[in-house]
Amino acid sequence: MRLHIIWIIFRKEITEALRDRLTLAAVIGLPLLLYPLMILGMTKVQKAHIESEDERVSQVAVWGDSPMALFTALQTTTNLNLTNWAGAGEPLQADFRAGNFQPAAEEVLKASAATNQNVLIEAAQQIVLNRSQDAVLIVWPGFNEALTTEALGKVSICYDSVRPASEKARERLAEALRGYRTEIIAQRERAHGHQPGFAAGLEIRSLNLAPPKRQVGERLGLLLPFIVILLSATGGLYASIDITAGEKDRATMQTLLCAPVHNLEIVIGKFLTVWCISLLAAMANVASIGATIARAAAGASESFFNVSPGTFLLALLLLLPATFTITAFFLALAMTARDAKDAGNFLGASLTMLLMPMMIVMLPGVDLNAWTAFVPLVNLSLLTKAIFLNEARADTIFLTLVASLLYASLALVFAARTFGREQILLGGRTSLFALLLPEKRKDATPTPSLAFTMFALVLVLGYYGSLLLTDAGIVTAVLTTQLGFFLLPVIGIAVWMKFSPVDVLSFRPPPWKGLLAAILIGATGWAAVGGLVMRLLPPPDSLVKALEKIVMLEDANASLWKLLLVIAVTPAVCEELLFRGVILSGLRRYGAWPAIIVSALLFALAHASIYRLLPTFCLGLLLGYIVVKTGSIWCSMLMHALNNGVAVTLARSKDFASQFGLEEATQVPWSITLPAIAVVVVGLLILRTYRRESAAR
Amino acid sequence: MPDVLTAQELVKQFGPVTAVAGVSFSVAAGEVVGLLGPNGAGKTTTLRMLAGILTPTSGQVLVNGTNLHDQKLAAKQRIGFLSGDTQLYQRLSPREVLRYFGRLYGVSEIELNQRIEQQVQELEMASFADRPCRTLSSGQKQRANIARAFLHDPDVMILDEPTAALDIVSGQFIVDAIRRKRAAGRAVLFSTHIMSEAELLCDRILFLHAGRITDSGTLTELLARTGCTNLTDAFLMRARETSPIAA
Repeated sequence: MRLHIIWIIFRKEITEALRDRLTLAAVIGLPLLLYPLMILGMTKVQKAHIESEDERVSQVAVWGDSPMALFTALQTTTNLNLTNWAGAGEPLQADFRAGNFQPAAEEVLKASAATNQNVLIEAAQQIVLNRSQDAVLIVWPGFNEALTTEALGKVSICYDSVRPASEKARERLAEALRGYRTEIIAQRERAHGHQPGFAAGLEIRSLNLAPPKRQVGERLGLLLPFIVILLSATGGLYASIDITAGEKDRATMQTLLCAPVHNLEIVIGKFLTVWCISLLAAMANVASIGATIARAAAGASESFFNVSPGTFLLALLLLLPATFTITAFFLALAMTARDAKDAGNFLGASLTMLLMPMMIVMLPGVDLNAWTAFVPLVNLSLLTKAIFLNEARADTIFLTLVASLLYASLALVFAARTFGREQILLGGRTSLFALLLPEKRKDATPTPSLAFTMFALVLVLGYYGSLLLTDAGIVTAVLTTQLGFFLLPVIGIAVWMKFSPVDVLSFRPPPWKGLLAAILIGATGWAAVGGLVMRLLPPPDSLVKALEKIVMLEDANASLWKLLLVIAVTPAVCEELLFRGVILSGLRRYGAWPAIIVSALLFALAHASIYRLLPTFCLGLLLGYIVVKTGSIWCSMLMHALNNGVAVTLARSKDFASQFGLEEATQVPWSITLPAIAVVVVGLLILRTYRRESAAR
Repeated sequence: MPDVLTAQELVKQFGPVTAVAGVSFSVAAGEVVGLLGPNGAGKTTTLRMLAGILTPTSGQVLVNGTNLHDQKLAAKQRIGFLSGDTQLYQRLSPREVLRYFGRLYGVSEIELNQRIEQQVQELEMASFADRPCRTLSSGQKQRANIARAFLHDPDVMILDEPTAALDIVSGQFIVDAIRRKRAAGRAVLFSTHIMSEAELLCDRILFLHAGRITDSGTLTELLARTGCTNLTDAFLMRARETSPIAA
């Protein structure tokens, strides 16, 4: 893969894309116009509507004989226009006065089988629904007597909950009636010589402790993922179709195919273009929303959208992984399409699917944790929410970013594979099954894409597997993960693809210099790397404790042999076969050093913790180097087993550890680190000389 | 003259359909070879395999002795491919298209400028070299396309019906370009179903029918062998011999 070729392709594609006025209009023009129109326009209409509702006088029919005091209380609010017996015919009035209707709760009124009761409700319903009145206030018979005898007076408000004017009338009536009731209670308390509050007995008040920033955060945290994901998706959608299937339609693909460039270079160049456009679209949308909201908020008294710039910036940064993942998915999907129409159908459907993660975020109580951090897009949505609530933690952010990168890269590898299929290139279609299965090669060696796919598969399997197995005990969990999720897939793929154990998995007899270097580096690598790295990025205590627990198998009395077998030997065999076997061989096509570095990076990422990233990366470099130099996986297995074994032994026997001043074990002292580094260097020098010998042979 | 392009027992199957059923031939430096055949004979598939766009089901392609399958990029570097139905990037100008492909083929910037100017002059493109390709006529487009295919000065030119859909004047640019390449010692392989074009240009002619080469040789050799007076009759005769349906 050559970066300058990717750059050449990217530059041409982005020039062409930005010359397409339609794309530009959709990506930048639309959001810049849409939000001001939508938000400001809607606020204006709503505001005008509320104002007119407030000014409007509610028309209320009062049925029944209301005492003067009630009438006066209701008249104090100027926005109620009361009409006695409006809409009630003579027979109804007569029936009412005769006491044929009884007060009852709303549900009883509705369900009542008594026909005469229905007559009353139907009459009220008729005048409210035909809008001649906004509400009907029923003052039930006996109201006056109840007031004079200090009994319970009963009124009912009949309204239409759907019509705002009717709802408003209910609010106004209820408020006026509450005032009237307070007055009656106060009168009664005075009459009996009671203190104020005698009748109420209890006053209940609630106080919301969530600071305004948090409340705003929640609102924005729910809103922003939705906006970001949907908008960056629409931005990337057209570009991905245009750049893949569109190029097929325009018959320009063939010229690129006969040029001396790799498929992956073409795919990455195109991907970067679509990513840029998605980012541009997302930025344009967010900027437009931000400016509009700021404008709208300037007029409002409540600081509704008052979020600190830092939080906002962090959420904006999430645009990078979000657009990255979505673009990669889109590109992979558009690549499989026969033509632009086909691609439009595919992507349209998948855009609808994108709404899922947003709905999940809105579910109360769904948070970013070890489980959700690995679910594509859901994790990014949840991370946005967590950032706005100030609840994001470094390790879950790390997991989310690793997972997003992983899924996006998988999609790109898939896109590059699809790009290489001639049926698809020439306007045909191939089965999805054929696209997903690894291609058997004549020389039976793994490809970089197979190496990467293996890594992704094993990581996701191993990650969820170990989460599922946490209750099963650490021994079971470690053994199942190592044997089932690491070793089994490696053996499976090696047998199925007929990989040579010698050439691919490096099962060669180890040279004595290799073994010597493995022992030197393996025994001291932990102290050297750990001593340096833990000073740079000290891990939190919780992680140290958790690791210690794993290393001790949660059992203080476990025998050292058992510990060494489970923690040192098993991972050394299984992890080495995966990372230094299939993955390193698959990457060798890019040269020895790129293969060592990338395989070390994948090895580090597989440990799924930001604090262990650097030490495991360094260890991965050493392990990769020894296999490349000696050609023997036995060397790296030995080194890996020794490295883990030293850690286990130190944790197991505190006495032993204390001899080295390591009993506290949070930091390796310089007196250990420096000699350890020296030994590692000696080991590396031995490996260097080995290359000369093998070259001479 | 050494062979620059060699096809060895090329076979291409699309599912159950065999498009090319074992084709072998070679093209030497300074030689123009014509691949003649009716629609569906397998001309395009053969040429696409030779250009590295399609992978043969079996058989191999050598470019200057380099195996196309093993060293794809190095081999593609030496090939210039042009087909009648190839289009250019509509929103770029011919000059931009040339610059893009020149860079992809690794031509240095200084040399690239010289070559672009040379192509613009040779193919008389000055009047439209900076206009977006979508505004060009099909003749102008094809001239820009020739420039694109010849820009990196390949050893082998593979042209798939390059004059299809062109008028006589535009077609002449292609004919001239092929002659210039032959004079410069480059190998040219082109397919056509226009017999007069082949008669005019080719040093050697291959008849392709139903995925197989039915006869090959110089024009004189072919006429002598078939006893015909023109290429069309000779071609029809060979076609009848191999496929009873064509008779």
